Amino acid sequence: MKKDMFERTEMAEAWRGFKPGNWSRGIDVRDFIQQNYKPYDGDGSFLEGASERTKGLWNQVNELIQEEVRSRTVRVDLKRFSGIDSFPPGYIDQEHELIVGLQTDEPLKRMVNPYGGTRMVENALSAYGLSMEPGLLEQFNKYRKTHNQGVFDAYTKKMRTVRSAGLLTGLPDAYGRGRIIGDYRRVALYGIDYLKEMRLKDKENFSDSATEEAIRLREEFSEQIRALDQMKAMAARYGFDIGRPARNGQEAVQWLYFGYLAAVKENNGAATSFGRNTAFLDIYLQRDLEKGLIDEKTAQELIDQLVIKLRMVRHLRTPEYDELFAGDPTWVTESIGGVGEDGRHLVTKTAYRFLHTLENLGTSPEPNMTVLWSKDLPREFKEYCAEMSIKTASIQYENDDLMRPVYGDDYAIACCVSAMRVGKEMQFFGARANLAKALLYAINGGRDEIWRDKETGQPITVLDGIEQNTQELLDYETVWESFKAVLDQLAKIYVETMNTIHYMHDKYAYEAGQMALHDPHVHRYIAFGIAGLSIVADSLSAIKYAKVRPIRDEFGLAVDFATEGSFPRYGNDDDRVDRIAIEVNRCFMEALRRTPAYRGAEHTLSLLTITSNVAYGKKTGATPDGRKYGEAFAPGANPMNGAEQSGALAALNSVAKLPYTGVNQDGISLTFSIIPAALGKNAMDRVLNLTNILEGYFGQRAFHINVNVLDKELLLDAMERPELYPNLTIRVSGYAVRFNQLSREHQLDVINRTFFEFV
Amino acid sequence: MKGRLQSIETMGLLDGPGTRTIFFLQGCPLRCAYCHNPDAISLQGGKEIMPEEVLEIAARYKPYYGEEGGVTFSGGEPLLQAEFLHKCLELLKQEGYNTCIDTSGMGNPEFLPRILPLADTLIIDVKAFDSESFANLTLTKGFAGYLEFLGNLENYGFRGQVWARHVMVPGYTDNEESMREFVQILKPVSHLIDRIEILPYHTAGVEKYRRLGMPYRLEGVEPMDKERAKELEIYANKVFAEGLQQDRKKAKASNEEKFKILRDRQVVSKQEQAEMFASLRELPLLREVAEEDVEAVLSEIILSNFKAGDYIFRTGDAPDLMYLIYQGEMKIFYNTIDGEEQIFYIYRDGDFVGGLNLLVETPYRYVGQALTDCKVIAIPKATFDKYFYDSSVILRSVLTKSFERIRWAEELIQRLATSNASMKTAGLLLKLVKRIGVETEEGIRLELSMNREELGNYSGLRRETITRKLGQFKDLGYIDLVGNKVIIIKDLEALEGYVL
Repeated sequence: MKKDMFERTEMAEAWRGFKPGNWSRGIDVRDFIQQNYKPYDGDGSFLEGASERTKGLWNQVNELIQEEVRSRTVRVDLKRFSGIDSFPPGYIDQEHELIVGLQTDEPLKRMVNPYGGTRMVENALSAYGLSMEPGLLEQFNKYRKTHNQGVFDAYTKKMRTVRSAGLLTGLPDAYGRGRIIGDYRRVALYGIDYLKEMRLKDKENFSDSATEEAIRLREEFSEQIRALDQMKAMAARYGFDIGRPARNGQEAVQWLYFGYLAAVKENNGAATSFGRNTAFLDIYLQRDLEKGLIDEKTAQELIDQLVIKLRMVRHLRTPEYDELFAGDPTWVTESIGGVGEDGRHLVTKTAYRFLHTLENLGTSPEPNMTVLWSKDLPREFKEYCAEMSIKTASIQYENDDLMRPVYGDDYAIACCVSAMRVGKEMQFFGARANLAKALLYAINGGRDEIWRDKETGQPITVLDGIEQNTQELLDYETVWESFKAVLDQLAKIYVETMNTIHYMHDKYAYEAGQMALHDPHVHRYIAFGIAGLSIVADSLSAIKYAKVRPIRDEFGLAVDFATEGSFPRYGNDDDRVDRIAIEVNRCFMEALRRTPAYRGAEHTLSLLTITSNVAYGKKTGATPDGRKYGEAFAPGANPMNGAEQSGALAALNSVAKLPYTGVNQDGISLTFSIIPAALGKNAMDRVLNLTNILEGYFGQRAFHINVNVLDKELLLDAMERPELYPNLTIRVSGYAVRFNQLSREHQLDVINRTFFEFV
Repeated sequence: MKGRLQSIETMGLLDGPGTRTIFFLQGCPLRCAYCHNPDAISLQGGKEIMPEEVLEIAARYKPYYGEEGGVTFSGGEPLLQAEFLHKCLELLKQEGYNTCIDTSGMGNPEFLPRILPLADTLIIDVKAFDSESFANLTLTKGFAGYLEFLGNLENYGFRGQVWARHVMVPGYTDNEESMREFVQILKPVSHLIDRIEILPYHTAGVEKYRRLGMPYRLEGVEPMDKERAKELEIYANKVFAEGLQQDRKKAKASNEEKFKILRDRQVVSKQEQAEMFASLRELPLLREVAEEDVEAVLSEIILSNFKAGDYIFRTGDAPDLMYLIYQGEMKIFYNTIDGEEQIFYIYRDGDFVGGLNLLVETPYRYVGQALTDCKVIAIPKATFDKYFYDSSVILRSVLTKSFERIRWAEELIQRLATSNASMKTAGLLLKLVKRIGVETEEGIRLELSMNREELGNYSGLRRETITRKLGQFKDLGYIDLVGNKVIIIKDLEALEGYVL
């Protein structure tokens, strides 16, 4: 029997009033929550507005954000490199800040993180007319190798070709992979000293072998221990001793934030998500409220101020990167709600408080508010969320009833749709394969439809051994067999490329701070992705049910298609084509599983494009579904633009059929936009109707939905007069963006996408 | 039995309560100038669909329906494909779906008794408010038939609620006068009305005309200003509520109009009257009345003749008269959900009907029709109250007579209650005003201790229904909602309009 840590003075003091359990005998945050939280069944009428000082603080920050957007410039610390304890403390307006801590010494000043790759850093700096202090980067390059260099040292020729062709894109080989969520709650609950003590023991316990894996693990443990020391030192600069556990609500919020702050100081991860914190924090706030130490106004203020900080996370990225991702996303995803394994829902008053920041501080793309939907959430909460969606277009929903059986009840979402048990699991992020292009390879004998050899002008063969299709009219069976061969080859290269990338990332850009806030031995997922599923499904359906005549150029490449007759399209709840989508989906997943992954990771797959659906479109030739060369893909698992013939719920039903468990277990993204007038006659009707839609959609085992309730006219006006809509937020694909930060091209893509406006 | 379908909208959130699957059926006898579905006019167009397929499709969208949603048939004019529609509704009803028909009332009356009992909601599109405008707008002479449809809804067995709609075109009906006419037309069904909506004319359909090579009769007319349309919608609702109340006040103050009908049929022959009065004195009913009052009673009651087939009273008639059959036969019936006429009783000489209605002040729920030529004695409520109310014999007699009907009446009252959500909600709010209302500058403030669910239970409405109704009242400016626990009454009068 382990000793209960309530016996320790500093723990006993911090934990007074908490019910002990497994959590007080070892690290187990989930158990702490389950033993101590109070589900809240009521509505949002208890919520308080923002305090004057919080409003003042937010106004200052908002002004800085707007200035950054307007001027299209960024501020960067040019004297230091990123690190948990590399920067002096920074404040917005110290006397009004209840929660402190910035990435650098000034608000919105970005860090230079060279560990992913220095060329990326140089490009980003020079795009803004900046450069590091003389000598610094040169020195770094001279003495230190980067992740990017490591990857390219080990890439094969084939990997490079597939990458250059755009068959695999967005690979994290030159930037931070992200998608790791530290269990930042551990800092608040246990304090750094105890976490360090435990990790020293872990290292000690792991000393009886010296295999490559064991050596690496011990090295990682040591790095983690150093990172914990740095966290403590960093907090000390702000005047806090996070060596001990947090003693009250304010400290709990602050400690938790310091844990997260360490992560975004150390890493430039594409998505550095926040976790699942509302029920955890609620226990502390509730204890303070019951003791009469704070009132509701203060409880809300702490959450408001935490959210202000989360809205300020920035990374130095190239303008091209920002263009690809449409804005400046950091994916500070917070997972809210869900249901526990014992059947009690996890909605607390702090879940409301967190969502309420969208009203107190106005809308914002970050943090990425993700509601874990379950049929068993209280109806009052469901309606509150729907109301906030309608008001702010800033919430996404994911199906807890699908995730709980796989990930338990203490998982969180990383980035957009990737679930993992907090502090117990991590993910190797792997962008996505362009399956629309892969289908063209199946018709064009493995040659790229666009890419030409610069010298000879000849087409380039990317995949070998694929037979060139010469049929006058495409035959379904022939194309399907060839497509399967393409998928098999592609899957193998994809897994091997990912293995290479993550091997090097672990080696050269290891996330010691985040991993210090995990269990010593973690389960790893390796997450692959598909782009263009709706195009593939529609194209194969066209080949099967209509007549598709390829139009070939002088090299025999199909550069366009003449399609006669009608065919069912994905998005109409028509099983004839929806089954094709599922079949392609399963086939690719099975092919991926055949190649073992680095560090024994478990293969998963997502249908998510972020906003690169536009970029994919540009790089993909005409497809048999009638899509022209260069036209944008549909985002995520969305049906193609204009494919729906019978309204939105038919589209939702099609998407709901795509399998989550065991196939797309890294998420299936759907973005749903509707004009307010179509959602209901009056405000109340709209709330109830949206709630019923969510209920119906998730009730059919669908996975995810982004909800935008916006008028097209408003968006058109915002394009013309951005100054009037500084914070207009819109959900794109698993995250939200500030509309003004989208390129004109992306703005048009959003506006031209299907808006359900049946009135 | 195949139908012709123009299209399906799987996310209908405006045409009937809740989330609905809308089947747009082909064919329409009208040629409305603003029609935005001109491709649905022909009865030949579209594609074929079987009622069983309709059921299958509904099953796919059932998860989205919530407590109120279901299937809506629109068009075109869905009543035109009467047999198909009937079959669809029958199948849907067997499976418990909520049904709605979006109609202009242009259906063959022969089918209506089969179709209408199967509809939970009727969306009635009131095209115009007089026959000339109706003809100009629709190029048909259907106005009279339309009024006929409206006036006979309950005789066709319709037991649901009505959403009344009007498409407002600038320069035509965008004025208060028209709104008053609109409300006037709704009079016969005012007790069934759940919503009155103004749809602002839009030009989204114009493009279709170009594609179909059809002339567009409203060329150059601007879309209706949405805010103005909203104002007039609020105005129409206000007028409607005021009208409801006025009607009731009028009915209470004087029964003149009702009595006039009876007097028109009054027995004129002095001799016959004398004979009737003589035999009346022998009835147990009058035996309880004090001798000195008998003359007064006899002077207040009305003796009338009815021809076979005449209606003596109808569903919804106010409880201001009870009837005693002096001579002849009269049937008491209602139209069942299957469209069948369910006869309850045949009353003969000496029977009376309506006593319970007078006692508990509930309107007539059924129809009384003369089977043979009848002589009927009508006893006004005032007379009843004055001379009979204290008589235990009469009360026992009324109650005994009514006992068999109570069970049925309860069921029906309950059904009507759910279809009168406006009245229920307004009634509840007024009750709360009396109990917990606090006068403030913004209006009467109600701090609720109940959540929506309990509020619903308290008033016999589902949570979703009462929530929507509160939303609608807010939209109309009657109330304001602060969070979920505070309601501010802005327009007490309007609410009072809905309450008996």
